[in-house]
Amino acid sequence: MALDADETAVREWATKEKLTMPVLIDKFHIVADLYGFVNVSASIWVDENDKIVRPADSAPGSDMFRSFSNIDSEVHHNLLRKWVRSGERDLDDTAVREFQVKPNQDVQLARLHRRIAVVLRERNQEGDDSASREHLARAEALAPLDWTIRRGNMPLVGVDPFGDEFFKFVGQWSQAGRPGFKLGTGRVEK
Amino acid sequence: MSLGLIVNHAGEIAHAEVGSEFGQFAIPLNDFEIITGWKLKPEGLCIDQICVAVRDPKSLTNQTEIDIVEFARITNQNIVVDHVRKIAALGEHADTRSEAMTTLDAPDFTLPDIHGKQVSFSDFNRRKRLLLAWSSW
Repeated sequence: MALDADETAVREWATKEKLTMPVLIDKFHIVADLYGFVNVSASIWVDENDKIVRPADSAPGSDMFRSFSNIDSEVHHNLLRKWVRSGERDLDDTAVREFQVKPNQDVQLARLHRRIAVVLRERNQEGDDSASREHLARAEALAPLDWTIRRGNMPLVGVDPFGDEFFKFVGQWSQAGRPGFKLGTGRVEK
Repeated sequence: MSLGLIVNHAGEIAHAEVGSEFGQFAIPLNDFEIITGWKLKPEGLCIDQICVAVRDPKSLTNQTEIDIVEFARITNQNIVVDHVRKIAALGEHADTRSEAMTTLDAPDFTLPDIHGKQVSFSDFNRRKRLLLAWSSW
């Protein structure tokens, strides 16, 4: 499930990689809202009883960004294999609840501003994008440390998500104590 | 009257005539029920088996339209309105979502896949699922 307002980018990558799982496009970040995703890439586990058995947490597909994230991707992969094969979980329900990231009102309202911005952007694809930018700015002011808002907005306003703006954001986020997912699966000391 | 747009909590988009005389963002009653899933009944605003009392019906509805800003306030939902562009987005209050999360029930959602087909999370009920959030950014 891609948290992307840009369908083309998602479709191109998923097609090129020949992904066999269902690939959904969540341009309004509905699933981020429902499950508490504050960054990508991240995972949730849901069992046969339709219950959440592992909360939202960082889940890199590989170690490509390990020097930056300090996350050993294999730790989550191994836990996942064990659960799929034997049903053995690494967290009980109490721990799942403890490590959930609950939203606050600022984040919830930021998501609504972002949704309006996405609608306005689609409406004015060739023209004036000032209205859309207005709502993106409101969203960022409300949730300045949420990656799905701050970094997720960058491609919508033509900002490089690996450029100066991004590193400025990472600086702010680090200074604020790196808020986000609580669980920290696979986190390693530098 | 002018055509407005509403994004509901599930990300569904609907168009409705927005009244200029009544309320802050008033839409026809029929559209309201389709967009929000709530119904206006004599006992109040109702969804599933739950009804919320309406203390001051005159500020909520003029019988043909319903003000969705007032609706959101009464039912403790979030709403952001762009009055200039006539767009409203409805969403869940942080407390409602936080409480729902503690049940550990996996909430359902429906989104388009990369071929444009609508897929629901519940299409895969009774199976183990890994839900991955990723992006191009």
